[in-house]
Amino acid sequence: MIEVQHLTRRFGARTAVDDVSFKLERGEVVGFLGPNGAGKTTTMRVLTGFLPPSQGRVVVDGFDVLTHSLQVRARLGYLAESVPLYREHRVQEMLWFQGRLRGLGRRESRTRAAAVLERVGLADRARSLIGRLSKGQRQRVGLAVALLPDPEVLVLDEPTSGLDPLQRIEVRRLIQELARERTVLLSSHILPEIEATCPRVIILQRGRIAADGTQTELVERLGGESFVRLELETAAAPAAVAAELARLPGVQAAEPRGQAGAFLCLEVRGAGDLREALGRHAAQRGWIVRELSWQRPTLEKLFARIALELEPARAEGAA
Amino acid sequence: MKGLLAIYRRELAGLFLAPLAWILIFCVLLYQAHFFLYVLPLKGGEVNGSLVFVLGGGVPFWLLSIFLPPLLTMRMISEESRSGLLEFLLTAPVSDAAVVLGKALAATTFLALVWASTFLFAALCQALGAAPDWGWLLAVWLGATLVSALFSALGLVASALFATPLLAAFMAILANIALFGLPFLARSWRGPAGERLAELLERVDVLAHFQGSFLSGALDSAHVLFFLAWTAAALFLAVRVVESRRWLG
Repeated sequence: MIEVQHLTRRFGARTAVDDVSFKLERGEVVGFLGPNGAGKTTTMRVLTGFLPPSQGRVVVDGFDVLTHSLQVRARLGYLAESVPLYREHRVQEMLWFQGRLRGLGRRESRTRAAAVLERVGLADRARSLIGRLSKGQRQRVGLAVALLPDPEVLVLDEPTSGLDPLQRIEVRRLIQELARERTVLLSSHILPEIEATCPRVIILQRGRIAADGTQTELVERLGGESFVRLELETAAAPAAVAAELARLPGVQAAEPRGQAGAFLCLEVRGAGDLREALGRHAAQRGWIVRELSWQRPTLEKLFARIALELEPARAEGAA
Repeated sequence: MKGLLAIYRRELAGLFLAPLAWILIFCVLLYQAHFFLYVLPLKGGEVNGSLVFVLGGGVPFWLLSIFLPPLLTMRMISEESRSGLLEFLLTAPVSDAAVVLGKALAATTFLALVWASTFLFAALCQALGAAPDWGWLLAVWLGATLVSALFSALGLVASALFATPLLAAFMAILANIALFGLPFLARSWRGPAGERLAELLERVDVLAHFQGSFLSGALDSAHVLFFLAWTAAALFLAVRVVESRRWLG
């Protein structure tokens, strides 16, 4: 449905998106993840035909965004990060305007407007002035505007920013619902959002794709190893306890990770979940266990690693 | 052109929803009424001459037509670019030309309505027994509208070029003053270089084209074309500037 081939976009000397390639199949929901300035918005703007690419090709439903921009735009619903709305208009007027822009008839426009307002939970605010709505309500009006023409592809830039937790859950549910019949590309820097809605994740870092795959795949492949964190009270020396634990079957390494008062903190690495073996050993030795937990890699840790690991490289590039 | 009507309607509605439009209409009505009543006795009670003076013959009209269009068009692109609305319009399935043209038409329609306020005075004169020459008035009104179309198009170019509405309005007003005043200057220059320059400037002499035709009540296609051609050129430039913004980002 969406095919991005070697997309590069420069602003003067700055390269915002650098040789990015990915593909979205029909009906796929993909989350764009990345720190601020990673190129998420720029990529989306190229996809929607707002910015032309400096290099590379973007094809949506068989149409090139550069040569067949209008056809691409007709297939896309786009909610920009700034949630552009005419504040002096009423909610329904904004939706009708979108309908006219998309060439919908008057009656169709009106029924669709009522339907999408129902869907985003703003049916009772159809006649409110947009300028008088709260940020969360405006965000949902923006979503309704993007949904009005019933597009095959939805591109949503930070669709949940400015929403309260309850509205977030609602919007998340709405996106999941929409995803059943549509291709959705959404960006966020809020990880739980992406974790909850998008099976597949593309992580951008400094304009490049740092990772692309399903969440479980990425976490397994790039998330780093798991370990057991053990915190216990013992009179023995930290190094001695570590050496003792390292001798247990299945344990590859045990390292002391600091001491808080009488409590000693250790990280134990090895094959799989070692909690039972460690717990049994501690009980035998009469150690008082304060924490025994299996630390598995998560998307959040993966994201933090990608974002942080590449930070020094940026400093080098600037120098 | 697809979407042109939608954008035109939205822009016109937007103008009337903003307080600025009503304030402008109110001020223009007061201003025009003042000059009409001031000129009427000077012309010995001659209704047609006084109406035409207010609608296009005198300095008051030219002052308005220099300052009003930039005030209407200043926000149309520069502010929408900031608020993201331009992004919304330019990612809708409509061409850049439709967006610019819709805005220009909305500003021109608004100004045409403002100039039509003179018809109120004319109707009043008719009611009081001094029938005005409606054909003449219509010709002057059409000319005034064409002048407004040109100045609105220039205002849109400025709005597309400059980041803030205030700067856009200021630059557009300067451009209007230059367009209006340069032919005056050219006529006072001497020497062969001045002659050639004067000849060149005659081609953009808005005032002469307006006075040469519309003001005398004659609809001359050459003069209509003069305004339409320059308006089209300015609109073309505005579309190009909007397009280049995409490339520059």
